[in-house]
Amino acid sequence: MYTASYIVLVPMVYFAFAVFFVGTGVRLFKLFRKPKQVATLQIFPEKRPKWLWALYDTFLMPSVRKHSPVLWLFLMLFHASLLLLIIGHLELIQEFKIFQIIQHEIFLGKGFIGLILCVALLFFLFRRFISPYRDLSVPEDYYLLILLFLTMLFGSEMDWARRWYDYTELGVEDYRMYLSSLLHLKPIMPSLTGHSFMLVLHVFFANLFLIFFPFSKIMHSFLSLPMNKLRRG
Amino acid sequence: MMDEKTRDELLRLFQTKLNHAMRFYLETCSRCGVCTEACHVYASMPHVKYIAAYRAEIVRRIYKRYFKGQGKVWSSLGESKELTDMALEELYEAAYSCTGCRRCMVFCPFGIDTQMIMSIAKLLLVGANAAPEILTMLADMSIEKGKSIDLFKAGFVEGIKNLEAQVVKKWRMEAGEAAIPIDVEGADLLYVALAGAHSIIPAAAVFNAAGENWTLSFFEAVNFGAFVGDPSRTALILDRIINEANRLKVKEVCICECGTAFRVMKQLSGKQPFKVTAITETHARYIREGRIKIDKSKFQGPVTYHDPCQIARNGGVIDEPRYILEHLTDDFRDMTSDVRYNWCCGGGGGLVALGDETLDFRMKSSKVKADQVKETGAKILATACENCHTQLSNLNDHYKLGVDVQFLSSMIADALVQE
Repeated sequence: MYTASYIVLVPMVYFAFAVFFVGTGVRLFKLFRKPKQVATLQIFPEKRPKWLWALYDTFLMPSVRKHSPVLWLFLMLFHASLLLLIIGHLELIQEFKIFQIIQHEIFLGKGFIGLILCVALLFFLFRRFISPYRDLSVPEDYYLLILLFLTMLFGSEMDWARRWYDYTELGVEDYRMYLSSLLHLKPIMPSLTGHSFMLVLHVFFANLFLIFFPFSKIMHSFLSLPMNKLRRG
Repeated sequence: MMDEKTRDELLRLFQTKLNHAMRFYLETCSRCGVCTEACHVYASMPHVKYIAAYRAEIVRRIYKRYFKGQGKVWSSLGESKELTDMALEELYEAAYSCTGCRRCMVFCPFGIDTQMIMSIAKLLLVGANAAPEILTMLADMSIEKGKSIDLFKAGFVEGIKNLEAQVVKKWRMEAGEAAIPIDVEGADLLYVALAGAHSIIPAAAVFNAAGENWTLSFFEAVNFGAFVGDPSRTALILDRIINEANRLKVKEVCICECGTAFRVMKQLSGKQPFKVTAITETHARYIREGRIKIDKSKFQGPVTYHDPCQIARNGGVIDEPRYILEHLTDDFRDMTSDVRYNWCCGGGGGLVALGDETLDFRMKSSKVKADQVKETGAKILATACENCHTQLSNLNDHYKLGVDVQFLSSMIADALVQE
């Protein structure tokens, strides 16, 4: 059991990050070095400054808000929570004063960020069981949502266990020691007691997600802005 | 059964379309379905196959199979698909039920251009000799005319001379002045019309009324190469006009009421010593500069305007027709509060050019447009595109809308005030 946990928590993490960074880098390089579109792909009327409107389209998704407000609500909650989640993970590596402008306990959101993410992912998933979205979806869409859901669920459970149910075997300091050690290439395994199986499962699914990322439609995280810029001209 | 050589040839054609914008579009769709309600075909006939994302997915699945590692390693993940004869049939249905209006692009959170993805489908059909024969034939005829213009010149000039009397009826000329000047080197404006008197007579009357130093192109504006989705044919047809404009040293190339012709000329002609305008822009300029005067009492009853997709949403000519209509009527009723969302008439993408073959589909798929027109309560429905005019006239008959479908340029010509 220890060996399996070790593989997941150490070599697989390095492998996943390597695939993520190299894969994403290569994919982006390949995409951007293709010849540029000669004619404009702009939609009129034009609004200036175009780059600001492209940012607006990318991050606030006004077209989704207009045509599918419930989806928009969940998308905004999901993406905003994802941002807080990334900040939370950075804070698990080390303290950042800038993030403490608003004083908070690590992890951010008192356990509710994970809850919001899980609910949003379930919404995205079950939405795809209804026509016409079911007819548009391909297996990748379901697998990705399930993978993300499992990652979020076990990650959140760690937070909930510690925060809401007083599981004290693994705390912020243990996570910080583990993550910092990985970052400094001197991995130290966390104690595999109590609710540590949640950590192992969380990291396992997160690894799978990172490995999958460069080859999936999640590349929209990088492509959405340039595409919206094309539409704005 | 498609043989290996044909498939390789088609995949080579596919590859030629993969510039960086196209790659973005093929890589990114999350199949969220926000575009579901965008397509007028789906809104009129709600079948999944008419959803923009579904159409695009037909091309995307082939892309995944041959151009992505994922399709080779784990093809069921993205339901990637082999390029077969059956796939070509699906591509045909997807491409020729899409008018290329790009309304779905407004809905998409990423701004995916389904028209551009459909251009792959159309190119594959050209490569497989499965494109609509009539469009290919018309494109080839245009190219042939460009190659051997001397053979056509005499007949064309004679045909134009026969139209001059009708131009003079709309706007009297000084003795000795040509009502329709042709091949005038050093003219300020080259007017590129469609094949047909209706595209030449009113325009000529307005140019003459404005005192424009203009000349008529030998070539028709419409680019069947673009309809059929063949980039090389599109370029050849376009080059005829570019070469003529450069030979005559004109300052402006004015495209008649044809959406595709305008967009192709404006956006694909590259950097040239002349500017490209839609005739609606030119007419608005004449009114603004006081070069023509028009009689507001000429047209009675409420007037509405259909924005041709390639001229408005995709070409940026939005305020000019409204400015003109302000001078033509006191009762203009806009059919949309946001031009980006205006419904397509349902005739673009070569569907009108395919004639009766597509009539039933065009009528069924454009019910939303007919409803939109009806809601305005207008008696006159103006537009600035040949395809739209034909389609709207068909819709008028089919749905008994009771409107008078008019070209905007004809309305201006009919309302010219001769002092």
